[in-house]
Amino acid sequence: MRPWSLLLVLLVALPLVAGVATLPPHDAPDAPIHTQVGALYLERGVAETGMKNMVTAVLLNYRGFDTFIEVVVIFTALAAVLALPKGSAPVPKGSAPVPKGSAPVPKGSAPVGKGSSPTSPSAGAARSREDEERPEVASDVPVSPVVRFVVRLLAPFIAMFAVAMLFRGHITPGGGFQAAAVFAAIFIALGLALGQDRAARLVPVDWRPWLQGVAPLAFALVAWIGWRLTGAFLGYPIHDHTAQEAMGFVLEIGIAVGGGVILARVFLEMET
Amino acid sequence: MQPFGLDLDYVAVVVLFCVGLYMLVAKSNLLKKLLGLNVMETAVFAFIVTAGMVEGGDPPIMVAGTSAPFASPIPHAMVLTGIVVAVSVTAVALALIVQIHAHFGTIEIDELKELP
Repeated sequence: MRPWSLLLVLLVALPLVAGVATLPPHDAPDAPIHTQVGALYLERGVAETGMKNMVTAVLLNYRGFDTFIEVVVIFTALAAVLALPKGSAPVPKGSAPVPKGSAPVPKGSAPVGKGSSPTSPSAGAARSREDEERPEVASDVPVSPVVRFVVRLLAPFIAMFAVAMLFRGHITPGGGFQAAAVFAAIFIALGLALGQDRAARLVPVDWRPWLQGVAPLAFALVAWIGWRLTGAFLGYPIHDHTAQEAMGFVLEIGIAVGGGVILARVFLEMET
Repeated sequence: MQPFGLDLDYVAVVVLFCVGLYMLVAKSNLLKKLLGLNVMETAVFAFIVTAGMVEGGDPPIMVAGTSAPFASPIPHAMVLTGIVVAVSVTAVALALIVQIHAHFGTIEIDELKELP
């Protein structure tokens, strides 16, 4: 298997290197990437969008459709993760062939069969012992008090960093997606250090469905507002910088909150 | 530095891509395959961002303190989109791997193939 893999990798690598050799140097100012539409955005961006961060301008304004579909994609990924059956009991396949022929293990009625059916006492006992052990294993993960203290100590500051990244994203590198990633990181760190229950309490259960969808919803709202103002779906009023900033602000907050909750929820789903 | 007309930054990206591809093809553990896929994605992002940089360029943020040669903003926006898609793919793949492990007790392709 290994030599064939290496051969395949070489077969892919050679055309890639050959192709890369024909590219202009990566920092040349006259490369096409700096002279075509990118230069146009840099030239007109501030006047047209009212945003100072051109990456945000491209992301939310010039290529708003792209980002709209992007938040729908991550929302769909969460939907796919949630759609998979959660916490299904692992079937011990390694020892499956032996009990399969002798006594079929009832999947859901193991605790009932433990007392009533004398035919398969061993299977019932094994089953119940497994059931008893599983929660112990889950709660037995040792978390050092140092880690716990440091995570609790740092969490508010990391949250402040995320908020700063969100609200200063228009004049510094940063923005909604970055803030979302940091928000989710706090959530995951708290979940690892303090336990899933404590972390899950940070996001109220009633709000979760709405918070998970808030990024596409914010985009839909802004797209509708743009349609009312300009007559084009996701259109921005080109001369009204206040309206543009407000629309961009709604999008950034929607992306930060929605994206963060989606990432955290995906992690929560894995942890079972 | 450009030996043989090759841009070393781009060559590094190709090497990273091939490392990821090798992990994806040669390893039989599904988690390692997924890691390889992520390494390949990272190589692609690095390639796009590298292409957008310019000699002595500032970040494309029009505030006091930044001046004329700006890095191209389009690669950054595209890579942001790509990262989100990569995260989505990773999330769904991890969830599927968890399911596979729950149902079959293994995530090795070799062992999964031998299952009845």
